[in-house]
Amino acid sequence: MHRLEEIWLGLSAGILILFMVIVGYQTFALGMGPPSNKENIDPEQVDQTAPFDNPGVKKVGENEYEVVMTLQAFGFTPSDIEVPAGAEVTFTMTSKDVVHGFQVAGTNINAMVMPGHIQEITHTFDEPGEYLVLCNEYCGAGHQLMSTTITVK
Amino acid sequence: MEAAKTSTPVENKEETSLKGTMVSVLFVLGVIVVMWVGVFWLYMSRV
Repeated sequence: MHRLEEIWLGLSAGILILFMVIVGYQTFALGMGPPSNKENIDPEQVDQTAPFDNPGVKKVGENEYEVVMTLQAFGFTPSDIEVPAGAEVTFTMTSKDVVHGFQVAGTNINAMVMPGHIQEITHTFDEPGEYLVLCNEYCGAGHQLMSTTITVK
Repeated sequence: MEAAKTSTPVENKEETSLKGTMVSVLFVLGVIVVMWVGVFWLYMSRV
Protein backbone atom coordinates (compact mmCIF):
# COMPACT_ATOMS: atom_id res chain seq x y z
CA MET A 1 0.00 0.00 0.00
CA HIS A 2 1.15 3.50 -0.68
CA ARG A 3 2.79 5.21 2.28
CA LEU A 4 0.34 8.11 2.23
CA GLU A 5 -2.59 5.71 2.16
CA GLU A 6 -1.25 3.98 5.26
CA ILE A 7 -0.86 7.31 7.03
CA TRP A 8 -4.36 8.40 6.04
CA LEU A 9 -6.04 5.18 7.12
CA GLY A 10 -4.22 5.15 10.42
CA LEU A 11 -4.91 8.79 11.17
CA SER A 12 -8.61 8.77 10.29
CA ALA A 13 -9.30 5.46 12.02
CA GLY A 14 -7.39 6.66 15.08
CA ILE A 15 -9.34 9.90 15.26
CA LEU A 16 -12.67 8.12 14.88
CA ILE A 17 -11.76 5.64 17.60
CA LEU A 18 -10.69 8.53 19.84
CA PHE A 19 -14.08 10.24 19.33
CA MET A 20 -15.94 7.03 20.16
CA VAL A 21 -13.82 6.38 23.25
CA ILE A 22 -14.47 9.89 24.58
CA VAL A 23 -18.20 9.78 24.00
CA GLY A 24 -18.41 6.15 25.11
CA TYR A 25 -16.61 6.86 28.38
CA GLN A 26 -18.88 9.81 29.07
CA THR A 27 -22.00 7.80 28.32
CA PHE A 28 -21.27 4.55 30.15
CA ALA A 29 -18.74 5.39 32.84
CA LEU A 30 -19.98 8.89 33.66
CA GLY A 31 -23.65 8.32 32.88
CA MET A 32 -23.88 11.40 30.68
CA GLY A 33 -25.86 9.69 27.94
CA PRO A 34 -29.34 10.72 26.85
CA PRO A 35 -32.08 9.80 29.34
CA SER A 36 -33.82 6.51 28.77
CA ASN A 37 -35.29 5.34 32.02
CA LYS A 38 -36.90 1.95 31.69
CA GLU A 39 -39.63 2.09 34.30
CA ASN A 40 -43.21 1.74 33.12
CA ILE A 41 -46.41 3.17 34.50
CA ASP A 42 -50.07 2.97 33.61
CA PRO A 43 -50.81 6.34 32.02
CA GLU A 44 -54.40 6.26 33.14
CA GLN A 45 -53.42 5.69 36.77
CA VAL A 46 -50.71 8.33 37.02
CA ASP A 47 -52.50 10.40 39.62
CA GLN A 48 -52.90 7.33 41.81
CA THR A 49 -49.42 5.90 41.36
CA ALA A 50 -46.55 6.93 43.62
CA PRO A 51 -44.59 9.16 43.36
CA PHE A 52 -46.82 11.00 40.91
CA ASP A 53 -49.73 11.15 43.30
CA ASN A 54 -47.69 13.85 45.01
CA PRO A 55 -45.84 15.89 42.37
CA GLY A 56 -43.53 18.67 43.47
CA VAL A 57 -40.04 19.65 44.46
CA LYS A 58 -38.59 17.54 47.24
CA LYS A 59 -35.28 17.95 49.00
CA VAL A 60 -33.46 14.63 49.15
CA GLY A 61 -30.06 15.72 50.38
CA GLU A 62 -27.63 18.55 50.91
CA ASN A 63 -28.43 20.67 47.87
CA GLU A 64 -30.04 17.69 46.17
CA TYR A 65 -33.58 17.87 44.96
CA GLU A 66 -36.00 15.65 43.22
CA VAL A 67 -38.69 17.18 41.08
CA VAL A 68 -41.53 14.75 40.53
CA MET A 69 -43.46 16.09 37.58
CA THR A 70 -46.41 15.16 35.44
CA LEU A 71 -46.87 16.59 31.99
CA GLN A 72 -50.23 17.11 30.49
CA ALA A 73 -51.55 19.18 27.62
CA PHE A 74 -50.58 21.87 28.05
CA GLY A 75 -48.65 22.32 31.28
CA PHE A 76 -46.12 21.00 33.71
CA THR A 77 -47.10 20.05 37.24
CA PRO A 78 -45.37 21.53 39.24
CA SER A 79 -44.60 24.69 37.32
CA ASP A 80 -42.37 27.64 38.24
CA ILE A 81 -39.77 25.68 40.12
CA GLU A 82 -37.23 27.30 42.41
CA VAL A 83 -33.96 25.77 43.53
CA PRO A 84 -30.81 27.23 45.08
CA ALA A 85 -27.66 27.64 43.00
CA GLY A 86 -25.49 24.56 42.93
CA ALA A 87 -28.45 22.25 43.44
CA GLU A 88 -28.33 18.83 41.82
CA VAL A 89 -31.86 18.23 40.61
CA THR A 90 -33.27 14.93 39.37
CA PHE A 91 -36.42 15.30 37.31
CA THR A 92 -38.70 12.26 37.46
CA MET A 93 -41.46 12.72 34.93
CA THR A 94 -44.26 11.03 33.11
CA SER A 95 -47.01 12.13 30.81
CA LYS A 96 -50.70 11.78 31.48
CA ASP A 97 -51.74 11.99 27.86
CA VAL A 98 -49.47 12.29 24.82
CA VAL A 99 -45.76 12.47 24.14
CA HIS A 100 -44.24 15.68 25.43
CA GLY A 101 -40.75 17.05 25.47
CA PHE A 102 -38.90 18.58 28.36
CA GLN A 103 -36.11 20.93 27.45
CA VAL A 104 -34.45 23.50 29.70
CA ALA A 105 -32.92 26.15 27.45
CA GLY A 106 -29.22 26.72 27.97
CA THR A 107 -28.66 23.33 29.59
CA ASN A 108 -28.26 19.78 28.36
CA ILE A 109 -31.64 18.83 29.76
CA ASN A 110 -33.59 17.52 26.81
CA ALA A 111 -35.86 14.56 27.36
CA MET A 112 -38.87 13.01 25.72
CA VAL A 113 -41.63 12.27 28.21
CA MET A 114 -43.92 9.51 27.00
CA PRO A 115 -47.15 8.11 28.44
CA GLY A 116 -46.52 4.72 29.98
CA HIS A 117 -42.89 5.54 30.73
CA ILE A 118 -41.08 7.30 33.53
CA GLN A 119 -38.28 9.57 32.40
CA GLU A 120 -35.41 10.57 34.62
CA ILE A 121 -32.81 13.24 33.99
CA THR A 122 -30.38 14.90 36.39
CA HIS A 123 -28.64 18.26 36.19
CA THR A 124 -26.62 20.48 38.51
CA PHE A 125 -27.71 24.09 38.31
CA ASP A 126 -24.51 26.02 39.01
CA GLU A 127 -25.49 29.32 37.45
CA PRO A 128 -28.24 31.38 39.06
CA GLY A 129 -30.88 32.81 36.78
CA GLU A 130 -34.17 32.05 35.12
CA TYR A 131 -34.29 29.06 32.85
CA LEU A 132 -37.04 28.61 30.30
CA VAL A 133 -38.56 25.15 30.18
CA LEU A 134 -40.20 24.21 26.92
CA CYS A 135 -42.12 21.31 25.54
CA ASN A 136 -40.28 20.48 22.33
CA GLU A 137 -42.43 17.59 21.13
CA TYR A 138 -45.62 18.54 19.33
CA CYS A 139 -48.50 17.64 21.60
CA GLY A 140 -51.56 19.40 20.25
CA ALA A 141 -53.21 22.75 19.74
CA GLY A 142 -51.63 24.36 22.80
CA HIS A 143 -48.15 22.97 22.28
CA GLN A 144 -46.57 26.37 21.63
CA LEU A 145 -47.86 27.62 24.97
CA MET A 146 -46.49 24.74 27.00
CA SER A 147 -43.68 26.21 29.02
CA THR A 148 -42.61 27.08 32.52
CA THR A 149 -39.55 28.47 34.29
CA ILE A 150 -36.94 27.21 36.69
CA THR A 151 -35.51 29.95 38.88
CA VAL A 152 -32.09 29.28 40.36
CA LYS A 153 -31.22 31.60 43.21
CA MET B 1 5.44 -14.49 -39.97
CA GLU B 2 7.43 -12.72 -37.48
CA ALA B 3 5.75 -11.99 -34.27
CA ALA B 4 6.14 -8.31 -34.39
CA LYS B 5 5.46 -5.98 -31.62
CA THR B 6 3.17 -3.46 -33.15
CA SER B 7 3.67 -1.08 -30.34
CA THR B 8 6.40 -0.51 -27.90
CA PRO B 9 5.16 -1.28 -24.45
CA VAL B 10 4.78 2.03 -22.71
CA GLU B 11 6.46 2.01 -19.37
CA ASN B 12 4.81 4.21 -16.88
CA LYS B 13 7.82 5.15 -14.86
CA GLU B 14 6.03 8.05 -13.25
CA GLU B 15 3.56 7.01 -10.54
CA THR B 16 0.61 9.31 -10.02
CA SER B 17 1.32 11.51 -7.05
CA LEU B 18 -1.03 11.17 -4.12
CA LYS B 19 0.26 14.29 -2.41
CA GLY B 20 -2.58 16.52 -3.62
CA THR B 21 -5.11 13.89 -2.59
CA MET B 22 -3.55 13.67 0.86
CA VAL B 23 -3.71 17.42 1.37
CA SER B 24 -7.35 17.48 0.29
CA VAL B 25 -8.51 14.66 2.53
CA LEU B 26 -6.51 16.01 5.46
CA PHE B 27 -8.39 19.25 4.98
CA VAL B 28 -11.69 17.39 5.10
CA LEU B 29 -10.52 15.59 8.24
CA GLY B 30 -9.66 18.95 9.73
CA VAL B 31 -13.15 20.27 9.06
CA ILE B 32 -14.67 17.18 10.66
CA VAL B 33 -12.41 17.50 13.72
CA VAL B 34 -13.23 21.20 14.12
CA MET B 35 -16.97 20.50 13.88
CA TRP B 36 -16.76 17.65 16.39
CA VAL B 37 -14.73 19.67 18.86
CA GLY B 38 -17.08 22.62 18.43
CA VAL B 39 -20.18 20.64 19.27
CA PHE B 40 -18.36 18.82 22.08
CA TRP B 41 -17.33 22.13 23.63
CA LEU B 42 -20.89 23.44 23.30
CA TYR B 43 -22.19 20.36 25.11
CA MET B 44 -19.56 20.54 27.86
CA SER B 45 -20.19 24.27 28.36
CA ARG B 46 -23.74 23.38 29.39
CA VAL B 47 -22.40 20.79 31.85
